[in-house]
Amino acid sequence: MDIYSIKAQLDADIQAIASLQALEDFRLKYLGRKGIVAELTGLIPTLPKEERGKFGQEANALKGRINELIAEKQRALSGGQDTKVSGASGNDIFMPGIAQELGHIHPLTQVIDEICAIFTQLGFSIVEGPEIETEFNNFTGLNIPLDHPSRDAFDTFYLKDYSKLLLRSHTSPVQIRAMKSRKPPLAIVVPGRVYRPDAVDASHSFMFHQIEGFIVDTDIKFSDLKGVLETFAKAVFGNDIKMRFRPHFFPFTEPSAEVDISCIICKGKGCSVCGRKGWLEVLGSGMIHPNVFRHVGIDPKKYTGFAFGMGVERIAMLKYGINDIRLFFENDLRFLRQF
Amino acid sequence: MKFTYNWLKDFVDIKIAPEALAEKLTMAGLEVSGVEGKGGDFVFEAEITSNRPDWLSVIGIAREVAAITGVKLKSAKSSKCRCAKAVGKFAIKVEDKSDCPLYSAKIIREVKVGPSPKWLKERLELIGCRSINNVVDITNYCLFTWGEPLHAFDLDKLSGAEIIVRRAKNSEKLVTIDQVERKLDADILIIADPVKPVAVAGVMGGKDTEVTEHTKNILLEAAVFNGSVVRRGRQKLGLSTDSSYRFERGVDFETAEFSACQASGLIEELSSGKCVLAKSSGKALPKTKSISLDLGLVEKILNVKIAEQKLKNILGHLGFRVRSVGKNKMMVTVPLFREDVELPEDLIEEISRIYGFENIPQTLPSIKPQVSIRGSRDLVALTKKVLTGLGLSEAITYSLVDQDLSKGFGLQDAQPVAIMNPLSKEQEVLRTTLIPSLARCVSYNLNQKQEFVFLYEIANVFSRGENFPEEELTLGIVICGEKSFFLEQGLAKENASLLEIKGVLERLFLKLGIKEYDFNPSGSGVIEVTVGGQKAGSLINLEKSALARVDIKNKDLFCAEVSLEKVFAAADLNKKFVSPPRYPGITRDISLVLKEDLAIKSVLSRLYEKGTPLLIEVRIADYYKGKQISAGLRSLTISCIYRSDERTLTEAEVNPVHSEVVRMLTESFGAKIR
Repeated sequence: MDIYSIKAQLDADIQAIASLQALEDFRLKYLGRKGIVAELTGLIPTLPKEERGKFGQEANALKGRINELIAEKQRALSGGQDTKVSGASGNDIFMPGIAQELGHIHPLTQVIDEICAIFTQLGFSIVEGPEIETEFNNFTGLNIPLDHPSRDAFDTFYLKDYSKLLLRSHTSPVQIRAMKSRKPPLAIVVPGRVYRPDAVDASHSFMFHQIEGFIVDTDIKFSDLKGVLETFAKAVFGNDIKMRFRPHFFPFTEPSAEVDISCIICKGKGCSVCGRKGWLEVLGSGMIHPNVFRHVGIDPKKYTGFAFGMGVERIAMLKYGINDIRLFFENDLRFLRQF
Repeated sequence: MKFTYNWLKDFVDIKIAPEALAEKLTMAGLEVSGVEGKGGDFVFEAEITSNRPDWLSVIGIAREVAAITGVKLKSAKSSKCRCAKAVGKFAIKVEDKSDCPLYSAKIIREVKVGPSPKWLKERLELIGCRSINNVVDITNYCLFTWGEPLHAFDLDKLSGAEIIVRRAKNSEKLVTIDQVERKLDADILIIADPVKPVAVAGVMGGKDTEVTEHTKNILLEAAVFNGSVVRRGRQKLGLSTDSSYRFERGVDFETAEFSACQASGLIEELSSGKCVLAKSSGKALPKTKSISLDLGLVEKILNVKIAEQKLKNILGHLGFRVRSVGKNKMMVTVPLFREDVELPEDLIEEISRIYGFENIPQTLPSIKPQVSIRGSRDLVALTKKVLTGLGLSEAITYSLVDQDLSKGFGLQDAQPVAIMNPLSKEQEVLRTTLIPSLARCVSYNLNQKQEFVFLYEIANVFSRGENFPEEELTLGIVICGEKSFFLEQGLAKENASLLEIKGVLERLFLKLGIKEYDFNPSGSGVIEVTVGGQKAGSLINLEKSALARVDIKNKDLFCAEVSLEKVFAAADLNKKFVSPPRYPGITRDISLVLKEDLAIKSVLSRLYEKGTPLLIEVRIADYYKGKQISAGLRSLTISCIYRSDERTLTEAEVNPVHSEVVRMLTESFGAKIR
């Protein structure tokens, strides 16, 4: 057996190979433990000393050539994909990479941060407020009379042993706090937890998150509200969405508008997510009610403003296609790792 | 609120299809949630906001249709009552006129109670109201048409010729039409005869006095009850009706009187009764309000110029009376059924919604940014970044918890702030610690076959304060299970430990620029964390009994809880550059065996003391505890790095210092050098 005839045979063999299995057989024939190359190197001790070196080099060159042919064929067989096993450093690059696991930020935090970032780009400042509030800040100051049906929309947890203290049922009391403690012009967004006594199901939770925002200045108009909210909605849901402002009632704004976006699932054709309406309600908004200004000592003749609020869970559910609000509070790692 | 297309057409000419009408109503603020073709008519369902009780009637919605489509309302039938305003045999006594500003009663004799005619039956059934008999149906028909809840009593079942409107006495009871015995009290306003209660005012009538097929003579009630009083009453009784719903939102005098006449007229017509006595008691008819509207304000708020005539038409169609007063000013008289309209801004809302929000332009305000407003939010964000980078995931759990759960963890020394009106046990108290909630998340994830759970939450915890409860922003961390990670040699596994949580906090403190912090044992399984010399929280190896409460078995759960308010108070994000060392250092390793109960911390600080100023860093390079050495001892390798900022140190300089350091270790700590 001489190396030249082996080389000739090699070329013939490799050309005939048409499958990975045949390639593996080829590899075993030449490079296996009892293969041709092993046989050749087994001969080395039997050779005269002066020939051993040269023979060894040729055997090695042959081995290198065979490896190249195999790699080449493998690439050809796997459609040009490089399935080379050894990298430059000799590591198997197909094994898992080595790195510290990253943690995941809760999707609600991500949505809050994204929304706050949009508003801070527009010039708003972020302010937070306490979760325990007074009846005044949560209701009276916001022009919600205590014994009035308009309060039905704001069912509230009250505290035992502390009269007239409650868990805020919306982030709007921070409006009262901020307007009392600062002077206009104001442009503020307020993210935070809010609470309402609701039985928990796929779309209700007794704790959820809201983002509130408001502007107060000498010349704020309803058209500004429309412009700011459209800028916001397009930043969150994309430039293609359509928007509509629908008259509504909130005690703390006048005029009040609910803001709908065209359904991001069905593009307005009507589906189960939008209740066949083609529209999704995403925001409540309006021009700040003069009575609210009066309660905080801002002159409603001099200043106007608008305010808006939205449910973070709702935005997150729409954005990510999440169908059950409880998932946010279960903290299943298989859920959290998706964000 | 349900109504039908044909019913509306009684009051207004509609030239658009039902679906188009629904869309227009929605875009004017009267949200139609459904339209359904039924029995040759179309049934609309609308969600009525609480400020618009007038929309709880077909006439109110017809008025809206008129405004949207720019037509006039058809005039209603004569409101003249045929009843004589008789005096005499019947008395009405209202104990408190603020509870009941108006009470009117009509006595109609010789009625023939029987089934309603087909048209009436059908109309009521289309909107889901069951037909009872002609008299009851007429009261319901008028309720839905005009918005005034009426009630008919069987006159002969009332004792004595007097109606008394008063608060109930605490021991009184009444069986209502739904056959439930109601316990009454002084918060509840009732209608009574001289002997007994006969109705819960504005909510529901009594069973004993209801109109049946045997009824001959009726008393027809039309009243205005105080909304707040009705509201409290129905909340106490847990009984909401079409009637209470309307009274709570407000019914006006004119509507009450008008619909009573409409009803008595219909009763005479359909049951051949005869109205013989009408009587009413109450305050005088309230005055109508007038609002001065500056057209400049309309433009200022809406940023659109609307022609004066257009404004007049919009308001006129909605039932307002408008007259121009000089240039750019209008005096607007508000009809009684629009009690919600009080300010010029309310009128601007009316104008804008009929004019169409879509016709108002979009602009962007110029905002003066106030970059100086910054709270702890930036630090919270930084904290979350650090923790995420270290492999922890963020959890968000409920701030309300069940009291027993927190107690069972033994972490709560004070009484928590409790909720007065929880819906379930899970909402009893505001939590004083994040740990039980996080432990529950761990349990949940272990049940989902997750092998390693590493979570944190940043949220407020609550404690009792003197006048106001206190909220403290807190960081909770939990770690549990076995972490597996790849090394070049293969998969490595490591059990969660308290040191890992300590490591997380150390990295966090480093990032926050906190230099002074400490971890010290305090009691069993608890390590106290101090920041800036102040107690800021603790590391805890949770006890088995606590873990059993969240169904975690055969696993250790380590956790930490620190007050971020205290941590952030010590934070210092100002950075000052220090030049990297210019001269190389000399490293000397010491391998030694130490008693296990010696605190490494104190050994290291003594090393620094001894080696100063050349010894600039001491590191634990390796440690071992186990079979190879005797119990109670541990083996350590300590790296000492000597360096100077002025010159390259020589062996001759370092050697004597290092020998001193080693000697100190053997002499002061009994270390055996290996």
